[in-house]
Amino acid sequence: MLYLLWILPLLADHKSRSYLPWLLRLFAALCLLATGVQVWAQTQDQAVDFATQSIQLAMSDEPRSLNSIKAVDAFGIYIVEHIMDGLLRRDANHQLVPAVAERWEMHGTTARFWLRHNALWSDGRPVTAHDFVFAWRTVVDPATASEYASMMYVVKNGEAINSGKMPLAELGVKALDDYTLEVELEKPTGYFLQLMTFIVFFPAREDFYTAQHGRYFADVENMLFNGPFTLTKWVHGAALRLEKNPSYWNRDAVHLNLINIPYITNDSAARFSLFKDGKIAVEDGLVGIVTEQLHGALENRFRIHSHSDGSQFYVEFNLRPQRPTSNLNLRKAMQAVFDSQELVYKVLGIPGYIPGHSLFPVYLQGVKAKFRQEYPVPLPSLDLAQARRYLQKAKQELGVDNIPPLSILADNREINILQTQYLQSLFKRTLDIDLRVDVQSFKQRLDKMHTGSFDLVIAGWGPDYDDPMTFADLFASWNGNNHGLYNSPLYDSYIKTAQDTDDQQIRMDAMSKAQQLLIDEAVILPTYERVISTVQHPQLQGLVFQQTGAQMVLTYARVVE
Amino acid sequence: MNPYAPKAGDFTPVARQPGLITNPRPSQSYWQDAWLRLKQNKRALLSLYLIVALVLMTLVGPWLWQQDPAYQDLDLISQPPAYGETALVVADPGIWAGVSVDPPTLITVDSNATSSLAATAQIQTVGSASTQYVRLRWEPVAGAGFYLVYRNDHAPESSEDLGLPLGQTLTAAEVSFEDRLQLRAQDYWYTVLASNGLQEAPGFTTVRIPVQRSITESQAQDRKLHANAGDTVTLRSHPFGTDSLGRDLLARIIEGSQVSLFIGIVAPFLWVLLGTVYGGISGYFGGTIDAAMMRVTDFLIALPFLLFMILFRIGFGIGPGESGIVPMLLALVLLRWEDTARLVRGQVLQIREEAFVQAARLLGAQPLYLIFRHMIPNTIGPLLVNLTFSIPMAIFTEAFLSFIGMGVAPPTPSWGSMSNEGLKSMLSSPHELLFPAIFISLTVLTFNLLGDGLRDALDSRMRSRE
Repeated sequence: MLYLLWILPLLADHKSRSYLPWLLRLFAALCLLATGVQVWAQTQDQAVDFATQSIQLAMSDEPRSLNSIKAVDAFGIYIVEHIMDGLLRRDANHQLVPAVAERWEMHGTTARFWLRHNALWSDGRPVTAHDFVFAWRTVVDPATASEYASMMYVVKNGEAINSGKMPLAELGVKALDDYTLEVELEKPTGYFLQLMTFIVFFPAREDFYTAQHGRYFADVENMLFNGPFTLTKWVHGAALRLEKNPSYWNRDAVHLNLINIPYITNDSAARFSLFKDGKIAVEDGLVGIVTEQLHGALENRFRIHSHSDGSQFYVEFNLRPQRPTSNLNLRKAMQAVFDSQELVYKVLGIPGYIPGHSLFPVYLQGVKAKFRQEYPVPLPSLDLAQARRYLQKAKQELGVDNIPPLSILADNREINILQTQYLQSLFKRTLDIDLRVDVQSFKQRLDKMHTGSFDLVIAGWGPDYDDPMTFADLFASWNGNNHGLYNSPLYDSYIKTAQDTDDQQIRMDAMSKAQQLLIDEAVILPTYERVISTVQHPQLQGLVFQQTGAQMVLTYARVVE
Repeated sequence: MNPYAPKAGDFTPVARQPGLITNPRPSQSYWQDAWLRLKQNKRALLSLYLIVALVLMTLVGPWLWQQDPAYQDLDLISQPPAYGETALVVADPGIWAGVSVDPPTLITVDSNATSSLAATAQIQTVGSASTQYVRLRWEPVAGAGFYLVYRNDHAPESSEDLGLPLGQTLTAAEVSFEDRLQLRAQDYWYTVLASNGLQEAPGFTTVRIPVQRSITESQAQDRKLHANAGDTVTLRSHPFGTDSLGRDLLARIIEGSQVSLFIGIVAPFLWVLLGTVYGGISGYFGGTIDAAMMRVTDFLIALPFLLFMILFRIGFGIGPGESGIVPMLLALVLLRWEDTARLVRGQVLQIREEAFVQAARLLGAQPLYLIFRHMIPNTIGPLLVNLTFSIPMAIFTEAFLSFIGMGVAPPTPSWGSMSNEGLKSMLSSPHELLFPAIFISLTVLTFNLLGDGLRDALDSRMRSRE
């Protein structure tokens, strides 16, 4: 544009003056054309549209795969949960509601599901119990090599089949008729129904699956949907497009007609710009590590929403015998001076973060209400004198005059570096214990945790399913993620009790004992529960964020005027 | 012709006349001359004073500014420069159970229903609002599933402009919230929104709450202030503000200068010394020795510095979280002396062919005498200049290595590591980056200007051109 303006008088001066009006006219025409294109592009390219109930989104990465049988990364789970429907589904309040299964019964190790007759595949044929039997068998088939096959171990013979010791037909799932599915479990599993919302338990139709010759769900033409949306376009690495599924049994409850995802970029600044320019309706990349990242949103006067992503963070002690931290009194001394509220409210200062008091985050369900409401944790009493008595005992037991410097392992995210510096100062000031900060890359941190080269480590855990057990069994002696090698027969017995029954009262009681034991033995120092901050278009309502499965659910969303 | 025969009376001494022989210019040694010329260079002189001031700050600063650079004042996090702030002492907050009501009946969530939630009414503070805590309670809203609490630092302009999401209550029964999130002494606008999980109340109520700076009784004791609840105390001044962990920036800059200036002065001295000896020997003897020694320098110059820095760390058995100052010093000395060696060699090669050196040699001067009497004094000018230019380079290297985490171990600060920490909150609290950056820039600039002045002052060949 500037170039044109600059050349205009030049042309007029050197040549005849009659060129000027002509050029001006051309210039005006070009301007008009450009504006027109821009207006047209804007109507095509906007975050939300009320009339057509369509929205536009960005993704930070594209799904590795959309095949529910092989199961996939978080991006795959996100899309699959929108285009497929399992036996059960979670509603906007995270409660289990009927999906393909109309009703169900569970007795001990047997579960029976009655399927609704109006659940259809997108080619018009009904979803039957055989489709579930086929899908589940394919998941545990060693030839499939599904990454999440271990989720299917709760079903009878699942593990044996997956390791090739039994034929597929032995899997404890059968279709009594077209619309009745019966599942035999390995042992009573209290969270079995929660698993039904996970994508590896979704159905697949045998004739369609085999007809794809290994390209099942690889491209749009290899897909068969039974969920609220269908995928109509997938340009790999560039764009996705979801449209409302007209044959979905609960189609009246779905409001959005079109979800267009034309942007796939992991540059959070770029996505934020897209949001600012009104090109996308949601940006959930504001992982509120520092309030600094929220500044942009605040300055633009955007409404910031936040939701828990389910992760619980804590400082884990190394309990290997050669480490000083294997001494209970030393750990209790550190526990007695550590205040997670001070850490979260004063040091980290990230809005929404909840100070940690237990291994179990506050959102987990207990028997009737939230687990943490039914089994409240006594808030820690900070007691410096008591801490020093513990320390004195620890020194005697370890046979040292001074505790040797302890190493604290953390990965190089800013929030962790801040924590290590706070802990370093805290333990030095209160207990005169030196901490050496060992900052590593994320991958390196995991490696060092596995090999046990740390005294303290800043770690965290995200839930795999919506039950306290996903956290509780972390510190069982047989768990591969028990990096501090906590080995307590008592703790193991609590976990076994909870795992071997489906009586919620017994399970939750056992897990509350486990919760208390972790505090009494100071195995971890819970630091915080994480939240994710998002910005969303004010006209888009009914977005649901979950702690397990797809982080964001659009099924209940709508565009308001 | 009779040859002239001098007689006694032919020559008589002239009477001494005062003022007949005047020395137009007083005799000056090389150093006196250099100093005289340096004094005329205003920039260089100013730089010299600043360097002296910086060194003084490093040496006597800790006695003058007696604050512990590692002490974390968590009530004054990221505070801009301030002087003589006062705070109210309040009782220790303890644990607040909050306010609960019998849960209002939860309406069944129907995604087709339009929201019927009312705006939250009567948001009040419980107790007085201070920087320790702001406790809010409100009247329950029928149909709410839980409440969302927002905090803003200006009056909201719309329901989009509510500020930071502080959190949400777990249930509808909780009608209170305690805000302790990095409160500052200012006015806040709190908004409480009722939500049923799918929809939020369309209207909102905002309450403006002025917050007073305060510390708790136990914190007052911690600070050795004898005060009870209700008293007003004067807090310690932080002329440069505090960092993201509430540590005094001035104290940290003083402590950091010890590391930065130690590396910045000791390392160049050592490597210039090493380079002078090596280059002197190489240049004086020349020939095969020179060729061999110079190939060694060529080899060393090609070695990557950062790699060796890491190798030295490992070689010294320095684990993670320990100070890397010694390997840094060693790596700097061992890998940076080649320039000096080349410079000195070149000078010596040139000087040894000069006529005055030849003359001295004819008079029987020994090599040692030649080197110390003729060679070194004649290279001292370029050498000093080389030294002063090396100092900023060393300071900058230290800053860079600490910046990437290879230098000092926390909590020991250095200007480089402080800049690194300050960078993260550049937009919200710029002073954390500004002050250490100013000190790095100032030191590097003054040494550069001084080096510039010294070059002019010490180079005797420049004299005739004035």
